[in-house]
Amino acid sequence: MNDTAQGWGESVRMQREPFVFTGTAREYFGIWIVNILLTLLTLGVYSAWAKVRRMRYFHGSTRLGDASFEYHARPVQILIGRIVALAVIAGYNLALNFFPAASLLLGIVLVAALPYLVMRGLRFRARVTSYRNVRFDFEGGYWGAFLAYVLGGILTWSTLGVLAPLASRWIWSYTLGNLTYGGRPIDCDPRLEKLFGQWWLPAILFAGGIGLFLTGSIALGYVYGPQLAELVGGGGGVGTLTAGILALIYVGLLPLVLLYVTVGLLYHAGSRNVAFEETVIDGQHALASSINRWRYTWIAISNFAATVASLGLLRPWAAVRMAHYLAACTALDTVGSLDEYVDTVEHEGAAVGQEYMDVEGLDFGF
Amino acid sequence: MASDPELEGKWHAPRSGRDVAARLVRSADGNVSVADVESGGELVSAASAQIRISRRVGSVPRRIFFPDQSMFVTRDNDGVDRLLGASVGRGTKWLVEMERFRPRLAIAVALIAVLAFAVYRYAVPVLVEVAIAVTPDVVPGLMSSGALATLDEAVLSESELDAERQQEITNGFKALAAHAPRGSDGYTLYFRKGGAIGPNALALPDGTIIITDELIILAGDDDDSIYGVLGHEIGHVADEHSLRRLYRAAGITGLIILIGGDIGSGVEDVLIQGSALLSLSYSRDQERDADRYSIEIMHRAGRDPEAIARFFEVMRDRFGDTGKGAILTTHPATSERIEEARRYAREITATAKGGDG
Repeated sequence: MNDTAQGWGESVRMQREPFVFTGTAREYFGIWIVNILLTLLTLGVYSAWAKVRRMRYFHGSTRLGDASFEYHARPVQILIGRIVALAVIAGYNLALNFFPAASLLLGIVLVAALPYLVMRGLRFRARVTSYRNVRFDFEGGYWGAFLAYVLGGILTWSTLGVLAPLASRWIWSYTLGNLTYGGRPIDCDPRLEKLFGQWWLPAILFAGGIGLFLTGSIALGYVYGPQLAELVGGGGGVGTLTAGILALIYVGLLPLVLLYVTVGLLYHAGSRNVAFEETVIDGQHALASSINRWRYTWIAISNFAATVASLGLLRPWAAVRMAHYLAACTALDTVGSLDEYVDTVEHEGAAVGQEYMDVEGLDFGF
Repeated sequence: MASDPELEGKWHAPRSGRDVAARLVRSADGNVSVADVESGGELVSAASAQIRISRRVGSVPRRIFFPDQSMFVTRDNDGVDRLLGASVGRGTKWLVEMERFRPRLAIAVALIAVLAFAVYRYAVPVLVEVAIAVTPDVVPGLMSSGALATLDEAVLSESELDAERQQEITNGFKALAAHAPRGSDGYTLYFRKGGAIGPNALALPDGTIIITDELIILAGDDDDSIYGVLGHEIGHVADEHSLRRLYRAAGITGLIILIGGDIGSGVEDVLIQGSALLSLSYSRDQERDADRYSIEIMHRAGRDPEAIARFFEVMRDRFGDTGKGAILTTHPATSERIEEARRYAREITATAKGGDG
């Protein structure tokens, strides 16, 4: 597979190691269905064990070179984390019910706590992941998460997505750039102009879609105004324009959601490519990502449709299909062979203490 | 099936990524050792009680951890179970057997459908009852004072009803509430101007009941229809409807979140929206229960049990029967409520007469 023998002796030699996902829908189906069955039987308590089995299946089926990844979290750790998380969510909601007037204050408390929760969650996930008996770790702090998730979010929304690339730059360099593998640093600094390069197509699509939606609704309001007013307002004396817009909101909601999702997926795939391409492990080994944006969007949307249409039964197939595609689009360019690299890691003392308790179960996807 | 006493795999030195082609052997006395395939030299050895074996999940490679933090990896899952089965633990074997892709998994699919229904229909209600039983009294109190303050700030304003009329209705309300479980001191009536919410009455979980001026004006001379509405609100408090709705929504959403990782985030969102729709139908059931409660308590208080039906008719004539009892509404259709209220009122009066005679 890899001409390791030839790699030796030469000082600099790039070698591409592809990621491969070896899981099958058939095999995962059994794990998945039993996970759900036992979770329901135990009113949710088994969900922690279910998560460990699911994660171990996906980590263990992802191979790089001649070895696979491993997920080490213990179910009891996750169970405690989930109880804490549910208690926090319940407490938050109860507090909102007790003191609705204090909702603004509670919102601020939640926003202030969010970066901390994100940071602990990322750290936990990194520490329970290993490759070739060497663990990952995450060294990001509170303010990095604050910048990426709170400030980035505010900037993105307040500029209607125009500054989204800035937020994704912060997020990627926080989540990927703070990882370490066996004590060796991982750097990730996606350039802004490259992120904007992935941004303009989704942005134009979105603006165009919204424009079409608005013109359509106004036109519809003028042409079929009276009939629509009858239909929508129940004769409540709604103006023709309002009626048109109301009608299109009913008719156009689904296409609008689809547009929003499509644009988000296109951009996410593009920004992942950019971020991975600019990720360097230990100053010399580079990640590579070559997702086809349209293909990725198609897989994600058709996965969802297939899952819903099959009442969930095709979910294992969908999850495996996506994992397969993402692995196939990802590779690691190593200087020299991978064996050589992990060999040098050994002296750094890779193992992080086994006993730690972190907040888990709040997975903040983006 | 010749029991091969060896496992082929790779060995990682303690805290090292480097791997060595190795062979794991279990000796007769229960000792487990790993030897280098090339040189045949022993790499590590430990008593089988000291090693830790990762549990089997599908065809994922098994890891065998030694006390010195070195690790042996093998893809021979059956071999691990055969050789070291005693240390793996029974639970996993049973689980792995169950997870195999076999036709019998269809039973699991059917069981999930039945279980999901049973949890929704039986387990969640039981949990809600338990939660209500252990909820301390301060909780509804806090909820209500907060809600009242917010309502006063956002929608309601001071009542413009004269004090005499307020006192008259309060007296009637007290007499009615005397027939409810908390007695007349368990409920407090507030008068407010409804503004945006128009003719309306609201119940808060601690027994606070708010009635709007608009409703009193709408009822006109028919005081019994006002008491009919108040009886309905007392019913909401007596059956702890708001707490029930809160706990129920939290329980169902919590369960969906817990299996969320397995069903995928998109489907999780759909399910949560779906459960919100179902909770609307739950809310319609609560309205029906409160209507019946009104009829019963009015009857016990010696007032006209059909009064609430008359109030609905006034509402219908004034605002039109807009609610069709559709899937998206919290209240049942007005015409249906009127019919049902009249029917139940007649039934109650009839049984009461039968009992007297």
